[in-house]
Amino acid sequence: MAKDRAQDNDYVGQLRKLLLAVLVLCLLAVFLVWRIDSPRVERFRAQVIDRVVPNFDWAMAPVTGAVNILRDFQSYQRIYQQNQELRRELQQMKSWREAALQLEQENARLLDLNNVQLDPRLTFVTGVVLADSGSPFRQSVLINVGARDGIVDGWAAMDGLGLVGRISGVGENTARVVLLTDSSSRIPVTVQPSGHQALVAGENSGAPLLSFLEDDDGVRPGDRVMTSGDGGVFPAGLLVGQVTEDVGGRLRVRLSADYERLEFLRVLRNWPQEQIVDPGSIVDPDLPAEEVPGEATEQGLEEDVSESSEAAEEPVADTEPADG
Amino acid sequence: MAERSATYVWSMRVIYLGLCGLVIFVHLLPLEPVSRFWVAPDLMIAVTFAWVLRRPDYAPLVLIAGVFLLADFLFHRPPGLWAALVLIGSQTLRAKAPDLRDLTFPMEWLSVATTLIAITIGYRIILTLLLVDTPPLSLSLIQVLTTLVAYPLVVLASQTIFRVRKIAPGELDAMRNI
Repeated sequence: MAKDRAQDNDYVGQLRKLLLAVLVLCLLAVFLVWRIDSPRVERFRAQVIDRVVPNFDWAMAPVTGAVNILRDFQSYQRIYQQNQELRRELQQMKSWREAALQLEQENARLLDLNNVQLDPRLTFVTGVVLADSGSPFRQSVLINVGARDGIVDGWAAMDGLGLVGRISGVGENTARVVLLTDSSSRIPVTVQPSGHQALVAGENSGAPLLSFLEDDDGVRPGDRVMTSGDGGVFPAGLLVGQVTEDVGGRLRVRLSADYERLEFLRVLRNWPQEQIVDPGSIVDPDLPAEEVPGEATEQGLEEDVSESSEAAEEPVADTEPADG
Repeated sequence: MAERSATYVWSMRVIYLGLCGLVIFVHLLPLEPVSRFWVAPDLMIAVTFAWVLRRPDYAPLVLIAGVFLLADFLFHRPPGLWAALVLIGSQTLRAKAPDLRDLTFPMEWLSVATTLIAITIGYRIILTLLLVDTPPLSLSLIQVLTTLVAYPLVVLASQTIFRVRKIAPGELDAMRNI
């Protein structure tokens, strides 16, 4: 029996050896053919792949997806590290976001400067802020437009949104803009919608005081503050800011202009308005005596305009001790 | 009884084919297209050696040759050479199998290691002689090592899941099937 099996095994073994030899020779022949005539075998290989791999295709996409999901799931295991990483990335993203916001605002401001539609007479000159005052007690900036560009003392300077200050001191190529927050700045304003008249008085803080208010009751925080044009200092209707109330209960103005980033300022060309000097020639054809006081008052107004800073300061200086 | 064992053997051959197909499939998955520092074990060879050492009738010659030739084609290897070498290696192991049957697993592991290293070296030598580009030596060595590390696991899985165990003395008749 054992011998029979051994013989049997021997026979089968011989057969197997023969088969092995044939197979190995065939495989080596394939290899040699590939080595000799590579392009043809490579074409054959391409055909084989073309035939076989698409059969796997229906399974490949879901399996790949599932493995990726599994990897995502594995990443939950190190969720703390991931959280730290995300925090770091978020920090970087915040700085990028800040940069993007700044660029957006600058862009909006520039667009606004380009598209502004005011009174046609109120054209403007746009200047770039060169420097600020350099002193903590003076709130002013230097812009790169001056007398060469026709800048005149007393004109209003705005950023894209709100009033920034007024020109005070013009050089050939530069001009100084005294900001609304400067302690020497007094601007006549109207509080909307109540229509109350007041003065915006800078005091070296971020939010100037709203003083000389006729009636406190009609003014609420949130009301809009516009220039009134009184005294001919500024054109009327320029946005200054919003009314706020400080801790002491005093009304202040939160300025609309972005004082943190004063970059581009536009200086409004504010030619003296036409004055109605003629009181009317209805009453009497010859009134030489009455023209003189009319002229005189107009001249007084003109003086007010030309030296408006002093003119605006004087009443405040008188009343401020009483106010405080 | 014989009928049943024949169908069983054929089903095990199908399982072998399926396992190799699964390995090829996993290798073809577009999961990590970038080259890595380490290489995954060649599980096809581990399965083949493990099964040949236990139940050679489950992994007949023609099947091994066909599967590895297909793998050569699919993995962009020089076609035929690796398959021929695997065939020779598996049959030398099969010839040793009666001796190894009584020995412990480490001896089997050792002989598998020598066979694998031998065919890897032979592969590289032949490719170099025929002026074919060879894969980096470090990657080949790493693959040999990882395959050897994975071999006991493959053996364990084969024995537990697929019940590919060494032939008991009374079952030698099954070996008649080529």
